[in-house]
Amino acid sequence: MTPTMVEPKLKEKSIEVAWTPSGRAPVPGGVAVAAFLAAMLGMLTLAVVNVFTAASKGFNAWVHSVGKLWMPGAEGIGPYSGKETLALVAWIGTWIVLHVILRKKDVEISRWFIVFLIGVGVATTLIWPPVFEHLAELIAGH
Amino acid sequence: MSVMHEPHEMREASTGSLVVVVVIMIASALAFTLMTGPFDKLLGPGAGALPAALHGLIAFLYLFVGTIGLYLGWRLMTGHIRAFADLQLLAVVAATFSLLAICFGNWLYIYYRAPITDSPRSYFVKNIPEVHKIFFEFKEFGALFTLPLAVCAAFILWRYGLQVVERKWLRYSVAVLFGLAFFYLVVAFGLGAAVAKLKPA
Repeated sequence: MTPTMVEPKLKEKSIEVAWTPSGRAPVPGGVAVAAFLAAMLGMLTLAVVNVFTAASKGFNAWVHSVGKLWMPGAEGIGPYSGKETLALVAWIGTWIVLHVILRKKDVEISRWFIVFLIGVGVATTLIWPPVFEHLAELIAGH
Repeated sequence: MSVMHEPHEMREASTGSLVVVVVIMIASALAFTLMTGPFDKLLGPGAGALPAALHGLIAFLYLFVGTIGLYLGWRLMTGHIRAFADLQLLAVVAATFSLLAICFGNWLYIYYRAPITDSPRSYFVKNIPEVHKIFFEFKEFGALFTLPLAVCAAFILWRYGLQVVERKWLRYSVAVLFGLAFFYLVVAFGLGAAVAKLKPA
């Protein structure tokens, strides 16, 4: 008799080969839109606050004092601690508000995602030092 | 005589066993180094040597995870994702590494901008001001962008589950979030490595 090989049978449960369709009720698009708009607003807050700290010494000192309210080592970190704090507050704060407003609304993700991309592009442009320093000079009137 | 191979069940290693193996490997490597090597010399003589080492280590691990995430994100975007559960896990790990890298970066920043003549910022401002005024400042803000992007991707992946795969714009948005986070990570990592090479903290 010739030797017989028996192919091992793979148990579907133990090996993940692909995804299977979700059986859950559809989650409204507003949940995702709230998440990425809040992320965008946090990034924009960081960028805008940074422009104004470069323009005004008084505002810069206030931003530093915000960081010193809670962040360990904020004295050494400097105004950067306050910029992080304000960006964090804007991000989480707007996320909570937008989530409550949009969580049951099936808004169009594509449109708002393009808004998000534009916002991220603006924020990135604003944190590029030659740009924010120029804007700060304009704001300060130099 | 026939040779019969019994059917056997193939099991994948669980995530728990993988974590245990990784922890044992890292712990044994660290223990061996600490027991036999001059670890303080490895960190360097600077006052910020420890936060620099931790920041660099976490950033490197994040780069590793971010690269895999970028690939899986692209697979998601094209609708060919097979390891969706892995992508979910990876998104959480990436967000965690982003947060840790920022925390250790804050700690290191204290030494970077210390008001002494030998601090990296003092050195750059005096000798090569462009490094601080353009590259470092862009890096410090760009690095922060990774956190909301990574958290947002992880949140959508877990909140929507497999609906992400089924809905075109959710696939696109999560994939782009991974791509953007990777972009800011690479910018921050590259500029950070360059700054550390020019003048360690």
